Amino acid sequence: MLKSILMGAAFATTAATGAFAADFPQRPIQVVVPYSAGGSTDLSMRVVAETFERLFDGQMVVRNQPGGGGAIGSSAALNARADGYTLGAGAQGPLVIKPLIGGTDYKLDDVEFIGLYARSLQVMVACADAPFSDYDAFVEYAKDKAPQVGNSGAGGANQISAEAFADAAGITIESVPFNGSSEARTACIGGHIDAMVASPAEALAASEAGQMSPLFVMEDERIDLFPDTPTAVEKGVDFTWSSWKGLIGPKGMDEDTRAWLRDAVEKVANDEQFRKTLTDMGEFVVYEDGEAFEARARKDMETSKKVLEKLHMLEMNN
Amino acid sequence: MESIAFLTPLFEPQILLTIAAGTLGGLIIGALPGLTATMGVALLIPLTFGMTPVMGLNMLIGIYIGGIYGGCVSSILLRTPGTPASAATVLDGYPMAQRGEAGRALGMATIASTVGGLIAAVVLATLAPQLAGIALEFGASEYFALALFGLTIIASLSGDLLKGAISGLLGILISTVGADPISGVLRYTFNVQGFASGFAFTPALIGLFALSEVFTQMERIAAKEEPIKIVSGRWPSRSEMKESRGALLRGSIIGTLIGIVPGTGSGTASWISYNECRRASKTPEKFGTGYAPGIAATESANNAVCAAALIPLLALGIPGDVVTAVLMGGLLIQGLAPGPMLFQTNPDVVVGIFGGTFIATIFMFIFGMALIPVFSRILMIPRRLLAMSIVIFCFIGSFAINLNPVDLYTMVGFGVLGWGMQKFGFSQAALCIALILGPLLESNLRRGLLQTHDDVIAFVSTPITLLFLALTVLSAGWPLVAGALVRRRAERNQSKPESQ
Repeated sequence: MLKSILMGAAFATTAATGAFAADFPQRPIQVVVPYSAGGSTDLSMRVVAETFERLFDGQMVVRNQPGGGGAIGSSAALNARADGYTLGAGAQGPLVIKPLIGGTDYKLDDVEFIGLYARSLQVMVACADAPFSDYDAFVEYAKDKAPQVGNSGAGGANQISAEAFADAAGITIESVPFNGSSEARTACIGGHIDAMVASPAEALAASEAGQMSPLFVMEDERIDLFPDTPTAVEKGVDFTWSSWKGLIGPKGMDEDTRAWLRDAVEKVANDEQFRKTLTDMGEFVVYEDGEAFEARARKDMETSKKVLEKLHMLEMNN
Repeated sequence: MESIAFLTPLFEPQILLTIAAGTLGGLIIGALPGLTATMGVALLIPLTFGMTPVMGLNMLIGIYIGGIYGGCVSSILLRTPGTPASAATVLDGYPMAQRGEAGRALGMATIASTVGGLIAAVVLATLAPQLAGIALEFGASEYFALALFGLTIIASLSGDLLKGAISGLLGILISTVGADPISGVLRYTFNVQGFASGFAFTPALIGLFALSEVFTQMERIAAKEEPIKIVSGRWPSRSEMKESRGALLRGSIIGTLIGIVPGTGSGTASWISYNECRRASKTPEKFGTGYAPGIAATESANNAVCAAALIPLLALGIPGDVVTAVLMGGLLIQGLAPGPMLFQTNPDVVVGIFGGTFIATIFMFIFGMALIPVFSRILMIPRRLLAMSIVIFCFIGSFAINLNPVDLYTMVGFGVLGWGMQKFGFSQAALCIALILGPLLESNLRRGLLQTHDDVIAFVSTPITLLFLALTVLSAGWPLVAGALVRRRAERNQSKPESQ
């Protein structure tokens, strides 16, 4: 008797999720952020959750699962049941770079790209007491002596972008890894390294205070915050780089659920209040659908692969 | 005069209420093992979106100050450091509670936290821009020398020097598990993805101190020993206050100085303070046996770090620890970029934060003192039930921090290790210090040598590095010299009566 009730209930649940996916979501959606609470990925995802709950009749809960440079949380999101109720914050380091270095139980092919809602632009800055303070002097200096460029962690996105630029520009740099970007920033302001990759928001405040000077922007075109700072592209170096703020999930979701989620990300990314909050936080708010997001990830992977091979880090941890 | 005008908005009931709520919330979060001040601040940042900068930031600072203080509660009562900052408080707090003086131990911790917080807040408000420069002097070699100096605590803290050294080295070995800080190669992870960042720190501490104690308690329960049911009043006695005066002052100053140096944090500060106060004490042998100045030393230092860590954040835009890094996120969301410009562009916010730090510290004192009788009641719970609930808390706390199941194995593993160490007279404190300082030591040594291209002389030849290296030699050598002096005096005293 009991058994048949349970089976009936189980059947009813399956039927409900299968047949009426239009009713999605019926319970809170969890988003795994693979970093500690309080970082830019976490904060932006919390704004997404807040906007989501305002726009839709549903709940979105952010769950922080830090560790392994983001690999642990990303693995949790990608190995979750593909019912649309467990998603992840799509971060460049753990999704693109970590699988190439090795030691992860997932690959880029396991990722279902739902949508990108912002990009974090990157600026290379000269640190306090550095022997250069603009792009030309930087490249000129690098011809004689490798500048020491700080990054937020060995094998992280920061190191890859700095090395990828050096490769494209035909110069040599010496990467100095720190434990997180705030340590690198401290060393930079203290003049213990020559340069680092920073976000436009932090670079702006620091350059106004005379602590750093912007060298170049890693975009196609100059950006509003730094109208006087060149891009690498205009200096004849074919190099752009930015990190992403997006939503991902495990492969194998049913079609309706996936379509609903994609639509939700688009609506969130185009919400006026959301755009303002995120812009104030220093993010570059832009919507890209799943396909464009995936293409971006694959392009970043090609760049990273080349750099890692050169650094002898490809499949280092396998 | 102008700055006084900026202080008045702080006394609006709405803002006072927000700071009070933040402090109380932080206190409770800190008291629960596994929920840290960092987590409290990070989780409540979204709540501040709609607030004015002064209100929002002061709520977060309240949580921070309350959270670091709250950690002492479970350290003293349950031997479970609520936050890593309070691990050193276990040494004297827990024995005091076991002696039936839980109330007084908590009272001393509250007073010490308040004194440390207020002294650092005064420094913050008066000397922030001047002192912030210290933070910039610290490069790889300076951090390395500071960490090395910190490790000498092991020599004076563990009774048996050999066993202490073994515990310390084991701790350093354990701290090498995970991704190599310079090359990113995974070390000793045995292909377990969950260990990619090494053993998680808080679960390791919870296992090392709390779970191991439960094992010891279980042996006592089996031996049918009677539990303590006395908790004592909350105010330390006059003589305890008199004995602790030096420790309070010393702890506050050490905490303030270490708080200014980014990336070292309240855990390091409380251990160094404990060691220095013990060394300066006339009765160092009483430390570790449930001696009030021991609590005064650690708690004044760790709360001084809170306000002091705001110095480099506000003056230079450099976060001093994880919590201030999160606070920096909070400032950026408010459209305020911390750094030297902030003092000019938004003096109202800067002064508001100075004032808020004082107010939050005072709220912390009031709530802390008021809640002591409530907290102490935990000890009235029959020992069997208490041991069971601590085990549950160990698991929940270890899991809550990263939601990583591997952390539970870490906690249990360290629990067994800690129990074994306790049984055979190895110092758990030495292991804990090595776990805190090991990564700081290794990554800065390697980063520094990378930057100087393996030139050791260039690496060590900066004034601050040399100063700390000299202190290291003195500190490591002192117990040996002191021991020799004591022996000689004893010999002389023995030989004197004979010659007469």
